[in-house]
Amino acid sequence: MNKQSITQYYRKHRKAIVTATSGLLYGGGWSLGYLTSFEMASAAILVLATIVGGYDIAKTAYHEVTNRTLGIKTLVTLAAIGAIVIGEYWEAAAVVFLFSLGSYLEGRTMRKTRTALQELLEMTPDTATVRHDGELQEVPAREVEESEVVVVKPGGKIPVDGDVIDGESAVNQAPVTGESAPVHKADGDEVYAGTVNQEGALEIRTTGAGSDTTLERIIRRVEEAQEAQSPTESLIDRFAKYYTPAVIVLAIGAYAVTQNAILSLTLLVIGCPGALVIGPPVSIVSAIGNAARSGVLMKGGEHLERAGKIDLVAFDKTGTLTKGETTVADVEGFGVADDEVLSLAATAEKKSEHHLADAIVDAARERPTAATDGGTTVARADDTDAGRRSVPDPDDFDVVAGKGVIGHTDGQEVVVGNRALLADRGIDIPSRVADYVREREGRGETVVHVVRDGDIVGAIALRDELRETAPSVVAALQDAGIETVMLTGDNKRTAAAVAEEVGIDEYRAELLPEDKQTVIEGYQADGHVVAMVGDGINDAPSLATADVGIAMGAAGTDTAIETADMALMADDLERIPYAVKLSKATRWNVLENVGLAVLTVTVLLAGVLTSYVTLAAGMLVHEASVLLVILNGMRLLRY
Amino acid sequence: MSDTTQFRVLDFDCPSCASTVERALSNVAGVQYVEVHYATGRVEIEYDDSVADPDAFVQTIESQGYTPQTA
Repeated sequence: MNKQSITQYYRKHRKAIVTATSGLLYGGGWSLGYLTSFEMASAAILVLATIVGGYDIAKTAYHEVTNRTLGIKTLVTLAAIGAIVIGEYWEAAAVVFLFSLGSYLEGRTMRKTRTALQELLEMTPDTATVRHDGELQEVPAREVEESEVVVVKPGGKIPVDGDVIDGESAVNQAPVTGESAPVHKADGDEVYAGTVNQEGALEIRTTGAGSDTTLERIIRRVEEAQEAQSPTESLIDRFAKYYTPAVIVLAIGAYAVTQNAILSLTLLVIGCPGALVIGPPVSIVSAIGNAARSGVLMKGGEHLERAGKIDLVAFDKTGTLTKGETTVADVEGFGVADDEVLSLAATAEKKSEHHLADAIVDAARERPTAATDGGTTVARADDTDAGRRSVPDPDDFDVVAGKGVIGHTDGQEVVVGNRALLADRGIDIPSRVADYVREREGRGETVVHVVRDGDIVGAIALRDELRETAPSVVAALQDAGIETVMLTGDNKRTAAAVAEEVGIDEYRAELLPEDKQTVIEGYQADGHVVAMVGDGINDAPSLATADVGIAMGAAGTDTAIETADMALMADDLERIPYAVKLSKATRWNVLENVGLAVLTVTVLLAGVLTSYVTLAAGMLVHEASVLLVILNGMRLLRY
Repeated sequence: MSDTTQFRVLDFDCPSCASTVERALSNVAGVQYVEVHYATGRVEIEYDDSVADPDAFVQTIESQGYTPQTA
């Protein structure tokens, strides 16, 4: 080893070397005094141990004093100097050594918590292959500009955010969404920096690079969340402001009354509320870091503490419990051909942006161009463009929110809607229509009536498949003692069928968007702490009303992340029981840490005041309690 | 002109150490706003770049016994 590398080694490991040296000197000095009668030599070595171990502490103490902050290092320095002055060399060396050892271990363990997120950032490659005028060039990933085309080989990491313009592949998006299963990507699909291209080559048109990628935005938000103080933390900080000065006053007072120097110096040593101040932030930072790595963005300690109290989870049905991909399951004409019913409905719905409208228009386009084919009700898919029908525009159309649409075409009035809309317009429902509707709704389908010039000519049944994971997710929440509720705009019969399929405790049907908020307020008035799960866009108001708003599939949609208290990056319901349990575990962890800290301080104070605990023992217990709360908090990193 | 910079200090060993560094940085000439977070180790500084030199921030943090990394 040359001189330079020795200096480097020393710099890097300074704290460990200083602690070890002071420990060895302390051990040597102590044994010399204990085994022999060389008391002067023993004292000298112990003083040396104090100086070696205490130099850095005293230096920081000096900065604390000049910056007018009252920290633990000032207190430790005062205690060590005091102990030497009254001739307690052993106590002085022990306090300094134990403190150095404690803070060395604290620094090391905290480093693990602090770097938990950096692993995520390291997922993004440093360079990107860019296509310039047909030539491939290697450039730093941060310098790729918007709309430049990046080529990613199979097995390579994607360096930028962008849209696929060529190629097809399976991409592992775990770093961004936490999902371990790869996602199929083809033309027009969005890909994220830091994800892994597993199969085919992809050409990507860049939409964001460097600090302007989804992954970097998420990590910035996670850090802001970790730094935001929870109510418990701010309470403790306010308490800590008074605790340290109070203990110093107590130490001075105790000396004035008892003339016992050891007693008042020991009070100084325990005068820093160490474990109490460190515990809650470590728990919260670890929990938020863990959640981030699993694709759950928690907006901060405050939200996390509230989420720990959740006892009711309300799910929006469409797109949350279901896949949100509505398709036409059946078309039935009453005195009119099925095909005509579908095309009438499609024309009326063409300009509507409702998900049911999209499904009807799609089904009409996919129908074969051949004339009506009798009683067959299932649309035959036909992929060729020639086989796709065009759907004419309506002359005009109006949306009746939560009920349906009214449009005009070829001089006819077409109404497509639910029972409520028909009732509003005074349209009678014949019993064979009602029978059909009841039968389809019993299967969990949603039925719309098609009315031409005041007569019901048909009905269309639409189906939105349940997510495969929905029943097990609901069961997992129930096992954790949490009530589950489904909120939907659908009619009662459809809702009941879906609710039964999912196994949910309760459902509320026929809700208009604003009704969902009222329902949540009702549960809150009953004393529930309510979490609401939705897509974060259509149900933003109810997410905001709930104690904890959980948005799903939030990667890439900033609005959802803004409104929610918790955002699931992937469309993965299974993260919900995980997030709720993690929040509960965090709440307990914070309580454990606060409890442990308060207990330690109480026992120490009692021990010091009754002279059972002296300097070294006080320091040992103090440092041990700090390490214990850090390690306890860090358990949440591996939850 | 006002500019911002960030460092990461991974070796803070007590919350009060972070507050001391925060105080020390706020006393550096030209610094308009500082935030030091103990839990994440993130140091955020907003400064007047005609007065303050980012090297001075590094030195200030180092003189307190901690190792800043650029982040």
